[in-house]
Amino acid sequence: MALLEVKHIYKSFGGVKAIQDFSIEANAGEIHGIIGPNGAGKTTIFNTISGVYTPDQGTVILDGQDITKLEQHKITRLGMGRTFQNIRLFKGLTVEENVMCAFDPQSQYGIIGGLLPTPKRRAEEKRGRELCEKYLEIVGMKDYLRERPENLSYGMQRRIEIARALMCEPKILLLDEPAAGLNPTEVGELTELIQRISREIGFGILLIEHRLELVMSISHKIHVQNFGETIAVGTPEEVQHNPQVIEAYLGKEE
Amino acid sequence: MNALISNVLTQVCITLIAVAGIYVLTGLTGMFSLGQAAFMAIGAYASGILVIRTHIPFFLAALIAVVMATGIGYLIGYPVVRLRRDYISLVTLGFGEAIAALLNRMTTLTGGASGLTGIPRKVTLTMALVSAIIAIALAAFFKTSKYGRQCIALKGDELAAKAMGIHVTRIKMVAFLLSVALTSYSGVLYAFYMSYVDPTGFGWKKSADWVIMVFFGGVNSLTGSTLGAFILSALPQVLRSMQNYRYVIYAILVLIILNFKPSGLLGEWELTPRHIRETVARVRNKFGAKKEG
Repeated sequence: MALLEVKHIYKSFGGVKAIQDFSIEANAGEIHGIIGPNGAGKTTIFNTISGVYTPDQGTVILDGQDITKLEQHKITRLGMGRTFQNIRLFKGLTVEENVMCAFDPQSQYGIIGGLLPTPKRRAEEKRGRELCEKYLEIVGMKDYLRERPENLSYGMQRRIEIARALMCEPKILLLDEPAAGLNPTEVGELTELIQRISREIGFGILLIEHRLELVMSISHKIHVQNFGETIAVGTPEEVQHNPQVIEAYLGKEE
Repeated sequence: MNALISNVLTQVCITLIAVAGIYVLTGLTGMFSLGQAAFMAIGAYASGILVIRTHIPFFLAALIAVVMATGIGYLIGYPVVRLRRDYISLVTLGFGEAIAALLNRMTTLTGGASGLTGIPRKVTLTMALVSAIIAIALAAFFKTSKYGRQCIALKGDELAAKAMGIHVTRIKMVAFLLSVALTSYSGVLYAFYMSYVDPTGFGWKKSADWVIMVFFGGVNSLTGSTLGAFILSALPQVLRSMQNYRYVIYAILVLIILNFKPSGLLGEWELTPRHIRETVARVRNKFGAKKEG
C-alpha cells in the first residue's frame, strides 16, 4: 500500500468541475510533479488532499488512514505539510516564531504553562527552538532567526515556508509552485534543496510547478492536468512526447 | 497619599486588568468583542450578591464569580470562535446588551436600575495594583507562549494556520476564556472597591472604550495597550476640573494618534526583561562612571 493514496477524487464549484477523477499514489522518497496550464485545478487538488475542501467523491488515504473528511489541522498532524503558491508566512512574527508555529500544536504543555514559565514549558520551548534551528539550517536560513520575513527576499521567504512545512514532520509534503517569482539562480538552489530534503528526510513530495526545467529534472513521475482532468501520467520523457500534452501546452496544430 | 490620587490609581488599575483581557482577545487573535463589559458585570454582580446573601469570604466569592463568568464565556465562546470576524462583534454586542437588560429586570436579585448596594469595601490600592501587575504578567507570559504565537499566526492567516496543524477554534477559545477571566476579575475588584454597582456602566460603550485604549497604545503590543489604558483611563479624572472639555480633549488625542500613527503609540514595541536589564546596566554604568570621575 502506498504512503499517500488519492483515489478518484472529484470536486466542483457550482458549474466548474475543478477536479475530475484525479488519482495518485506516492511513496516516501518519491517526487511527483503536477503540471498543467492555469486553471487546470492543480491547487484545488492540493486543497482537497490537505483538507481545505472535502472532495465531492473519492477518498484520500494517508499512511493507511482515511483522511478524506478530516479537518485540516488534523490532517496536518497526521503527516501532511504544505507550502503556498503565494507565500503565506505569518505577519507579526519573526522567522523563528513562524517556524515555531508549526511545532506549537505538537508542543506538550498545557494552559498552566501558557500563563507561567513552568519547567515543562521551558523544556518544550527549548526542544522547539532546537528543531527550528535544525530545519532552518537545512534550508540555509539559520542566520535569520530574529528577522521579520517581510524584510527578506522572495527566495528567502520560500525557504522559510519550506522550513515551516518541515516542522510539521510531514510524511507527504505538498509544494505549490515553489519556484514562482524566483530568479534563475534561486531556481537552481531550490531544485537542489528539494532533492536534498527528499533524499535526507525521505518523505513523499507532490510538486506543482510551472517551470518545466525544474519539474522535469527532479520528478520521478508527472501528472499533466488540463481543465480538471488528468490527460497524461508518466515519466518526464513519456509526458514530454505525449501528443495530448503538447497540444495542451502549445495548442493544436492547424 | 492624597485620597483623590489613590482613588484614580485604584480605578486605573482595575481598568488595566480588563484591558489586559482585551489585549489577549483583540490584540492577539484579532477578535472584536463589544460585550466584554458584560463579563465585568457578571464578575461584579456575582461576587457582590454572593457576599451580601451568603456571607462567604471575599476571596471565595471572587473565585466563584470568575469561574462562573468563564463558564458563561464558554457558552458564548462556542459559537463566537466559529464565526467570521464581523459577526463576532455583533453577537458579543447582543450578548452584552442582553446581560445589561437582565440585570435591570432581575430586581429581587440585582436591585434592578437602582443598583446593588451594601457590598463591603474590601479592595485597597495595593490589592488593585498587585492584581494589575499579576494580570499583565499573565498576559505577557501568554503572549510569548505557544498559545500567543498561534493566536498571532491565526490572526494573520487562518488558512495557513490550519495548514500548520493549528487548531484554530480551540486556540481562539483559550484566548477568549482568558480574556473573560481577566475581565470578570476586574469586575470583582470594581464591585468591592465602589461598594455599589448598577447596570448602566457595563454596556457596549465600556467595551468600546477598552478597545479604543488598546488601539491607542498599540494593538500589537501589550506594553502599548497597558500604556494606552493608563493614559486614557487617568486622563478624564485628571482633567476633571475642565468639565465637559475633557471629553473633547480625549477625543482629539485619540484621533490624532490613530490618524498619524495607526499602529498606536508604541506600534509593536514591547518592554521585555532584556530592555529592563540593559537600562539598569546603562544607569549603573553612568552612575559608576560619575563616581570614578
